[in-house]
Amino acid sequence: MYGGDEVSAIVIDLGSHTCKAGYAGEDAPKAVFPSVVGCIDQMDADDDKENNDSETNNNNADSNKPKGKRKLYVGSQALGFRRDHMEVVSPLKDGVVVDWDIVDNIWDHAFKDCLLIDPKEHPMLLAEPSSNTQLQREKIAELMFEKYKVPALFLAKNAVLTSFASGRATSVVIDSGGGSTTVAPVHDGYVLQKAVSFSPIGGEFLTDCLMKSLESKGILIKPRYSFKRKEIQPGVFQTVDVDLPHTTESYKLYSQRVIASDIKESVCRAPDTPYDESSYSNIPMTPYELPDGQTIEIGADRFKIPDILFNPSLAQTIPGMDNFAEISSSARGLPQMVIESINRCDVDIRKELFGSILLAGGTASMQQLKERLEKDLLEESPQAARVKVLASGNATERRFSVWIGGSILASLGSFQQMWFSKSEYEEHGASYIQRKCP
Amino acid sequence: MDAKDILGLPKTPLPIAQEKKSRPHKDSQRKPDGISREVYALTGGVAPLMPSIDVSQLKRRPPSDEKITWQWLPFTSSARKDNLQLYHWVRVVNGVPPTGDYSFAKYNKSVDVIRYTDEEYAKYLTDPKWTKEETDQLFDLCERFDLRFIIIADRFPTPRTVEELKDRYYSASRAILVARAPSPGEVAGHPLVKEPYNVTHEIERKRALSMVLSQTKHQERKDAEVLAEAKRIAESRMAARAAEEPDLPVPSDIGPESAERAVGPGDTISPSNVQVHAAAAAPSTSVIADNSSTLASLRMLKVYLRTYALEQMVQAASSSAGLRTIKRVEQTLQDLGINLKPKVPTKAVCAEHLELRKEILTLLNLQKQLQYKEAEGSSFRDGSYGDMPGTAKRSQRAVDQDRTFVPDTISFGVIPGDRGVKREQKRKGPGRASETPSSPAGAHKRPRKMKASDL
Repeated sequence: MYGGDEVSAIVIDLGSHTCKAGYAGEDAPKAVFPSVVGCIDQMDADDDKENNDSETNNNNADSNKPKGKRKLYVGSQALGFRRDHMEVVSPLKDGVVVDWDIVDNIWDHAFKDCLLIDPKEHPMLLAEPSSNTQLQREKIAELMFEKYKVPALFLAKNAVLTSFASGRATSVVIDSGGGSTTVAPVHDGYVLQKAVSFSPIGGEFLTDCLMKSLESKGILIKPRYSFKRKEIQPGVFQTVDVDLPHTTESYKLYSQRVIASDIKESVCRAPDTPYDESSYSNIPMTPYELPDGQTIEIGADRFKIPDILFNPSLAQTIPGMDNFAEISSSARGLPQMVIESINRCDVDIRKELFGSILLAGGTASMQQLKERLEKDLLEESPQAARVKVLASGNATERRFSVWIGGSILASLGSFQQMWFSKSEYEEHGASYIQRKCP
Repeated sequence: MDAKDILGLPKTPLPIAQEKKSRPHKDSQRKPDGISREVYALTGGVAPLMPSIDVSQLKRRPPSDEKITWQWLPFTSSARKDNLQLYHWVRVVNGVPPTGDYSFAKYNKSVDVIRYTDEEYAKYLTDPKWTKEETDQLFDLCERFDLRFIIIADRFPTPRTVEELKDRYYSASRAILVARAPSPGEVAGHPLVKEPYNVTHEIERKRALSMVLSQTKHQERKDAEVLAEAKRIAESRMAARAAEEPDLPVPSDIGPESAERAVGPGDTISPSNVQVHAAAAAPSTSVIADNSSTLASLRMLKVYLRTYALEQMVQAASSSAGLRTIKRVEQTLQDLGINLKPKVPTKAVCAEHLELRKEILTLLNLQKQLQYKEAEGSSFRDGSYGDMPGTAKRSQRAVDQDRTFVPDTISFGVIPGDRGVKREQKRKGPGRASETPSSPAGAHKRPRKMKASDL
């Protein structure tokens, strides 16, 4: 019998790089936008722009807010437009939410601007990091029920949702996203929290490495807003630099990162063997055209950058990355993390875990990553266990596998009894969420 | 099923009337006789007899007297403890929404975990290693996670192994069950009471499993290399020994290594290797060639039965003799009261048995030679001394001569058998000696007569 029963639930996955939101039951999220926001602190704006009122001020009367009034610009469209004094702020730090106001705004943008729904009518399924604290969960519950008045809520762990997206109840999930990489074993639909491994090396770290590496070679990435291209003659372009003194550093960095991550996604490939300088010194270069017309050649970096996932100490060899030395020295390579995580689990399930290792996240859609990981794991894993790394062939599916898992879960008939409803929240309080959402 | 639902068609299988109509039609479509069903299917064959969705049914419109609409209606589920109302699409017939519980509520199954009261705890369940709070927490987690002990161990506040938790839970439940039952006989059938949880066994099993799993491929390869090396060394040692001492070839047996590897991968090679089984006895010089060839063939097998080895040896030994001789040997053995195959085939017994057979063979061979010589001798003498009266005397003299011959052959026969069984030999010796003078004529027939009347 068909096991689904749609109740028009909404699934939201707030990642460190992008936020995905959409209806449950669909196969891809409708709203995908960066989870950083542009923020203009009204204090600075007021001082500077007393004379010209080009900025519409937020006439919020609560000036007793310690942060002052600030206007947040959420969404790729809002962020894409350069504004003076706009800082780019992320609500997350090391995977943990520190700024609830920004999160609130992000959700608001998703509901009102992207999905055009009224949160009062739809139960919400939220994806949370695999090692989320009790305090964070309670805050989410409070925010959702008090502000948005949702009828029902459920918090599911990222690893569990990825596991369900591939149709398994037991697996090891490698979630390699923007900000971090987490290896979490899932058994029978529950995360084994004592065996979760965390590494701060994620897509953004790799992008930074690439940027520093290119800078050290003398290549300057110009952010998109900083130049104009004029067509002097048909087919011939001329770039003119535009000077915008009030652009903040963080915005500049953000724009550069966008370009660098595009380079990374199109050019980088995971090497088949561990990277060493000598063997890759004579590799043929790949050309890449920057938005300002510059064509750059990328050679050894194509393979060096992805290999940082497997060998974090490589990052120290890149000039300019010395300040990250502590991070990369303590982090371990991906295969070691997987084996360590599995070995912390009970002996009985280890064989099954080895046979179903799942790759998820944006960084996991790197080419050849699956093959390289499988090869490395076969070397280090026990003889008796059969190692199998699974990743859906479609790159989009890998990026959104957490969201897709949520979509599947929220539209199942037998899930409808598990929601944490508003009446339960009112009766037992926010701490009851610990019981309801294991 | 989905399509039927949306179109509003009945979910029941084909009504009977239609079955009757379709059956004769389907009969003519049956496969031709003579070829099997699978072969016919290869050529395209017949469609499966019962289609899951009857095409004619799909074309039909829903019965017109019913008015079907789909409405977005709220619903409650008995599986929920509160009264949350969510909405979903419902197929409404004639304005009457379907009644009954939420169709997925029946899938809400849970394990019934035994709950104890405080007095029951104080009476039956106190344990030095477990506090009451911990036991309470354990039972609470068991109920929440439906006895998934791996997850319970993961969420348990204090670090406890899965075996400890299982042990505590099962022994506590068992104690409560037994205590609550009016008589022990009633709960004896309950699975918790019948099969108690064996902690030590589980710990051992997990330890062994973890050892198996901790061997990486690298180590496995090294182990395999070392073992192969050891095998080569042992074989070369064997060959050297075989060359040195030809009358004591020793087949070597590299016993089953895989079982040992599973249990103790860290052990050194020496105990698992070089398990030498000496299955052959010391053969006589005459059959050494045969022996070494059988030994070579036996060496090919890694494991074999001693009786099988013995058979091979016997066959090899008696390969020079004809079928009749083999039968004679066996007859002799039977007359002596010895089984053809030893009842208790230990090393010593098999060795003696083989030796005995060889001695009997030697004996028979020698007897045959003796007969031939006697026949030659008597025919020679008969030929040289022609007249009849002389023959009787001569024959007497021949017999005397024979008699002198015989002890020699007997004594000659004694020597090879010296190493062996003296009892049988003694019986044979005097027996033969007494028999030979009794039948002067028909020297050729003598062995047969002896056999019949012997012993």
